[in-house]
Amino acid sequence: MTLLWLRLAVLLYGIAALAVLPAALYDRPRWRHIAIPATIAAALFHFVSLTETLNAAHHRLPVETHELQSLLALILALAFLLVYARYRSVSLGIFVLPIVFMLSMLAAFRPGQETFSAPIRNGWIFLHIVLLLAAYAALFLSLLASLLYLIQERRLKRKSSGHGWLSPLDTPLETIDQIALKSLLFGLPCMTAGLLIGSVIAQQDYGAKYFSDPKILLTFGLWLAYIAMIFIRRASGLRGRRAVYLSSFVFLAVLFVWAANQFSAVHRFPVP
Amino acid sequence: MSQPTQRQTAPRLSIVSPASEADATNARAADPRAEGSLVLVGVNHTTAPVEVRERLAIPLARLADATRALAHQPGVREALILSTCNRVEFLTIQDHPRAGGSPNLLRFLHEYFAVPAATLEPHLYEFREREAVRHLFRVASSLDSMVVGEPQILGQVKESYSIARQAGAISTALEPLLQRAFAVAKRVRTETQIGSSSVSIASVAVDLARKIFGSLHGKTVLIVGAGKMSDLAARHLIQQGATSILVANRTPERAAQLAGQIAGQISMQLANGPIAIHGAGLACTTEVIPFDLLYDQAARADIVLTSTGSEHPIFNRSHGQSFLERRRNRPMFFIDIAVPRDVDPRMDQVEGCFVYDIDDLQQVAAAHLANRGRESAAAEKIVSREVDLYLERISSRDAVPAIVALQNSAEAIRQSELERTAVRLAATDAALTPAQQSAVDALTRSLTAKLLHPQLTALRKKTED
Repeated sequence: MTLLWLRLAVLLYGIAALAVLPAALYDRPRWRHIAIPATIAAALFHFVSLTETLNAAHHRLPVETHELQSLLALILALAFLLVYARYRSVSLGIFVLPIVFMLSMLAAFRPGQETFSAPIRNGWIFLHIVLLLAAYAALFLSLLASLLYLIQERRLKRKSSGHGWLSPLDTPLETIDQIALKSLLFGLPCMTAGLLIGSVIAQQDYGAKYFSDPKILLTFGLWLAYIAMIFIRRASGLRGRRAVYLSSFVFLAVLFVWAANQFSAVHRFPVP
Repeated sequence: MSQPTQRQTAPRLSIVSPASEADATNARAADPRAEGSLVLVGVNHTTAPVEVRERLAIPLARLADATRALAHQPGVREALILSTCNRVEFLTIQDHPRAGGSPNLLRFLHEYFAVPAATLEPHLYEFREREAVRHLFRVASSLDSMVVGEPQILGQVKESYSIARQAGAISTALEPLLQRAFAVAKRVRTETQIGSSSVSIASVAVDLARKIFGSLHGKTVLIVGAGKMSDLAARHLIQQGATSILVANRTPERAAQLAGQIAGQISMQLANGPIAIHGAGLACTTEVIPFDLLYDQAARADIVLTSTGSEHPIFNRSHGQSFLERRRNRPMFFIDIAVPRDVDPRMDQVEGCFVYDIDDLQQVAAAHLANRGRESAAAEKIVSREVDLYLERISSRDAVPAIVALQNSAEAIRQSELERTAVRLAATDAALTPAQQSAVDALTRSLTAKLLHPQLTALRKKTED
């Protein structure tokens, strides 16, 4: 039954991902009446599915790969809905919804292959995971918004006179810039709290040697890069191409940290 | 899209004679409930030059009187007059209008406007029944406007309706028709993009500013030069929320004059400080800046509107870079409506500077207009469907009284026959038991219904046809 809910959510995400294209790119605002309700319904089914999955597995933590993918997809979908509620902009959906669709589809059609046996299955670990996922989602959203800024800027500079793909997006430049900056501002406390919680748990369970692993150090380096990025953006009003470069750099660092996690022995908790 | 039927191709109109007027009045008195005919006569920008339209134009203050006068014409039951700069139309419900002409209307035009019939006739168009409904729906939906999709016409139709209603010139026939016309116009606006894009230079500039800044609330606009177009565009920007206007001109007096005009004040004196205006729910400050301080002050502006007569560009690429640096990369929008151009086109290469010259703006406006043309095809389909639906609804409404009358008549005959039979049976001591009475009642009901069925079906079909 849980898979059924998730597959239903995947179908709805797919519909939303398609419907958002005419709404954002072809100046057909009526399509948002399909995209937004479909995303809301999908997120509801998704939430039900995830909750049922965790209950059925008798744990509260998303510890399997597909559970993590599913949770990340849900957070991204909720972030998109939040941006829509605040700015009435669907442009981000051009990128966010297909990614949500792909992530949830992986979770719905491919069983989890890797299992962590979390040493401390309590609310703090859950918070650690959710906060870091939220921070990554915020960073990703900021990168997408910066890309959208670039697209909108190019379109305005091209002075395209027609409707459709070449016409400017429905979201103004300043709004896109606000989305990019506020996503970062939202992500920083999430990342800080997530890292702090993880550090306290690791200190209690493994001691100080845990922090000497390069991958863990890299994670803290990422946190510093995150702060630096916000500082630079705020201090110099960085926008457009350079903002995309900066966001891309930090996002690549996130991917690097994630990849390092796949090869490092630290921070892996296989099932006995 | 059908074009209006020109009067010169239709049978000629004639001034109604007193005898025919009396006939019409008699017919109306004899059959006061009879349905009238819908007739629409008018001129618009495609059929009549402005010299003719202006002779028929009715100022808003006189529209109620004119509507009342039209409604009191012999044979006219209900009336509405739509008078705009591009059209004057007379929508009426008439008793038995003659085929091929509306003598009552022509006589009214002749008398009320003192325009000879011969002058009017070549420019008049006339629509009846279905075509009149269709024309009204197209007009309200702005499909018949000079600039297709312009939003003012619906408001003008509503205003005419309101005036006619207050004048007592609208009743059971025009009321549902006009309500439907408003609903159709709303549907066309909602379901198509016909009115979604701007088609004038000033509104295109405002739209582009909104694409960059979103809300213009709190934005600063710098006007360089003092052309009429600058004034117009500035007013548009203020309406959209711009709250600070800076004016720079080589002639300080001219700058002060424009600032005064924008501020709603006819002031020729140089402004020593900001002039505050508060009108129409807007709050805005205007400030004159000396021309030699232009480059120092320009970075304050989010939007720069230039229209000077300078032979050489006033702003070049390095200015743009300097402004952006001082603004910490906040975008700037240059609207250059001067010819020769005031802004070096290479400034557009500066990240964060957006430069649109008059050709760019005109190109966008033309594309929007073309898009409206494409959308109008979808709008025409909606109007056609709505005309069919409306006429079907009216037809079925028209058939109801006849159907009810037929059913009542049949029921009366059935009751009378039942009573007669009951009396006859009672006289021969063969009265029916309650069960038998019930069976006979059901039998006669069923017979009546079956006998009436073909007639009722035919009546409904005939009405629909």
